[in-house]
Amino acid sequence: MNTFIKQISLFLVLTLCTGISAIAQQSDYQIQQDFNTEYKELLERIEQAGTTEALSEIEEAINNFETEYEEHSDIIDASLHPETFENAISTLRDNHAQAVESTSTIEDLNDQVSSLEDEIDGFKSQLDQMDQETADLQQQIQESTENEARQAALIRQYRENIEERNLFVSNFLGDLLSKYQSMDRAQRQEISEAAGRLEENPVDVIQNVINEYIAMMENAEGLQAPDFVSMKAQHGYFVEVWNQVGEQLTAIFSPDNPEQARANVNQLLSNWSDSINTNLWNSLHTAFSENDIQLNEFSSSEELNTALHTYLDNAYEASVEANSEEDYNIYQNFNSFWNNTVKSEWGEMFVEGDILTQAQIAAVDTKLDNWRDEAAPTSNLIFILLIVSIAVIIGLVVLLLTRKSDSGSKA
Amino acid sequence: MTRLTLQVIILCVFMIGSVSCGPSLVIQNVDYSQPLESVLTPDSENMVHDQRYAIKFSVSPILEAEGSSSVNEVHLIRNNDGYYFVTANGFQNVYVFAPGEGELKLENTIEFVENALGEPAFNKREGYIELVDLSNNESYRLDHEGILEEETE
Repeated sequence: MNTFIKQISLFLVLTLCTGISAIAQQSDYQIQQDFNTEYKELLERIEQAGTTEALSEIEEAINNFETEYEEHSDIIDASLHPETFENAISTLRDNHAQAVESTSTIEDLNDQVSSLEDEIDGFKSQLDQMDQETADLQQQIQESTENEARQAALIRQYRENIEERNLFVSNFLGDLLSKYQSMDRAQRQEISEAAGRLEENPVDVIQNVINEYIAMMENAEGLQAPDFVSMKAQHGYFVEVWNQVGEQLTAIFSPDNPEQARANVNQLLSNWSDSINTNLWNSLHTAFSENDIQLNEFSSSEELNTALHTYLDNAYEASVEANSEEDYNIYQNFNSFWNNTVKSEWGEMFVEGDILTQAQIAAVDTKLDNWRDEAAPTSNLIFILLIVSIAVIIGLVVLLLTRKSDSGSKA
Repeated sequence: MTRLTLQVIILCVFMIGSVSCGPSLVIQNVDYSQPLESVLTPDSENMVHDQRYAIKFSVSPILEAEGSSSVNEVHLIRNNDGYYFVTANGFQNVYVFAPGEGELKLENTIEFVENALGEPAFNKREGYIELVDLSNNESYRLDHEGILEEETE
């Protein structure tokens, strides 16, 4: 047993000595040369690393590198003077940390860009599908002039399609608002740097959406007043959102010339408004006319307001003068259309689309109340009762006087 | 005679005075050693220039002594005492030089005649210069007088 232990010990000592002597055969110069080569390679690897995985591997390599050369730190200090082994390792670790931060930022940015691309692609794809459906419906409406029932059904579907599209665009705008309005300068800068890689950015999408709206308004067959009122409201919401995030969006996605990009969108919004107005005022006038309310011609919000007041003032005067049943019927007709259609169905959109303000609607309500008071026909019952009462009194007086004269003559 | 003796005494006093009044500052225990050898490539005129340790010389006399016309790299190191050790791949000697005014004076030639140095390298160690031959894993302890102790594997 002792012999065996001695043999093992001897083997271990020999192995150790061999190992030590193997280390002793190294050239210090070669060690520092190897150190410099590996050091430069690590610096280069850090510089070229593009992923966090690669940087994790490099971190391990730095640890191994440090462990490997730590025992030769004196030699390396001497060769690197005035730099030191410790400084070299620190430089590697600092560069690595910076690379990790940059890579992480880049990866975050790539994720953001990728997410943005997916978002825009998804939005565009769905919008394209809706536009295609709208175009198909328009085509079918034009082709089905002989079948009124079918045409009516298609028009209803077409209008629903536009409503759905408006809702979808509104949601997109809401997303833009929540995402970009609260974005700080650094985030905007990051997105802006990556925006060049996007095939289509949100500003492009907004321009395309507005162009589609303009095209829709220029070919508005089958649409009626409620559709244009709804479109006016949509335009109002679009303008509101654009006023809130337009500056940020153009700064991010059109960093070279944000003012020009903003001016382009503003011009498109103005064109869209014009195309809506062309249809809106006529369709509103027609809607009032179809309900036997003949307003003066109007082609703007102010003119509509004036036309309503003129109508109410004239109707009020007529009721004061005539107080006829017919006047009352006119009042009831207007009151019904005003309250059941204009206020109930279109009220919010009127305000949203700047067609009438809340104050203007309230002013019409006040005049309508006054008109009601004057339009309600006055009853003749009291007058008849008065006449009857007077006649009865006179009759009773005559009867009393007659009886008195009869009793006097008898006496 | 007395006069001559007096003149000799005055002369001696003058000489002693001159010597004692001359530069006498001596710094001891100076370490001239290089922590690492320099590996230098001779130019077309066989000049080597070690910019780090500020020395430039021609290796032609060494090559002549070695019986060689050229060499790719020269290994150079200086020990504590300030002696330069020079060798190269394929050399049969390590040349030890003492620096002088504008010259390197051969102090010693350490011979490796039986086994020429295939891939020599100098390492500075405490108290000596280690010569390793990486081609055969042999190492030697050197000072300016020669091999101190041979370590053979």
